[in-house]
Amino acid sequence: MGDSATWGPTLMSQSHGFTRHGEELFVAQFSDSEKEVLINLSQQIIELLSERVDQHDQDPLAAMVGITVHDSPPDDEVLLRLLPNAYADGVDAAEFRRYTESVLRTKKQAHAMSIRTMLMSSEDGSIELNHELANAWLGGINDIRLALGVRLNVEKNSHEELELLAPDDPMRGVYGVYSWLGWLQGNLLQALMDGIES
Amino acid sequence: MVKIKSKIEEEINAIFSSDRPWVTIVWDDPVNLMDYVTYVFIELFGYSRERATELMMKVHNEGKAVVSEGTREEMEHDVARLHEYGLWATLQRGDQPL
Repeated sequence: MGDSATWGPTLMSQSHGFTRHGEELFVAQFSDSEKEVLINLSQQIIELLSERVDQHDQDPLAAMVGITVHDSPPDDEVLLRLLPNAYADGVDAAEFRRYTESVLRTKKQAHAMSIRTMLMSSEDGSIELNHELANAWLGGINDIRLALGVRLNVEKNSHEELELLAPDDPMRGVYGVYSWLGWLQGNLLQALMDGIES
Repeated sequence: MVKIKSKIEEEINAIFSSDRPWVTIVWDDPVNLMDYVTYVFIELFGYSRERATELMMKVHNEGKAVVSEGTREEMEHDVARLHEYGLWATLQRGDQPL
């Protein structure tokens, strides 16, 4: 699993992350650059998840009830991580995908959408989340991290190797955002877990 | 004798009931944070913090863990919800090797 313990807000340092206000409210204040990064990445996730929808001729009736023509796993590595197989067996996995993939896409898009629309309508970058919205944000941030993680190849590259990327390596910027999102997700989780009896 | 009889009935029931037991497995991955995995188990399954943490550690240390058991339909539902939150989950028959 990933580790956020030592990750600080390396790239964007203005933010204090999420804090709990009362029983069920989680509040954060984002700088303009943080807002921009989050809006941008959420938008990319929304677009990535809609890619396959109109690619093939759909049976309109099947589409209405959420059945897609897609029963093969996505070729794109990022998409495959976001929409993984539910069964080891290929036939079962295809069948499951056919009946569930479009619903999963829609749900993930909704998570990303809630991050994007809330930030876009927040003039000063302040965000207030109730429990339900906090879950949507957690899921949305996680999808962005999964997507960046595939691109950074965190499977093979260790934390230490990624820390040593050259300053002019474009992946260094990506890693900075990935780390920051891990830190942000970590402190939203902390705020949420404080309310859970141990 | 009663014990043996009920044992036999149990076996027969198991043979004829196709809707049990299936399992949902969560696999370790290098991105998902430990706290996040624990939190998702609490939220989706209503597990206590202890149970959720224990399962998360099992995933982390052993590479995988069975996180729920039930009918195939129930496990498909669990896997779909885990996928919604980005956990790497699959389902299979409970009597198959993991």
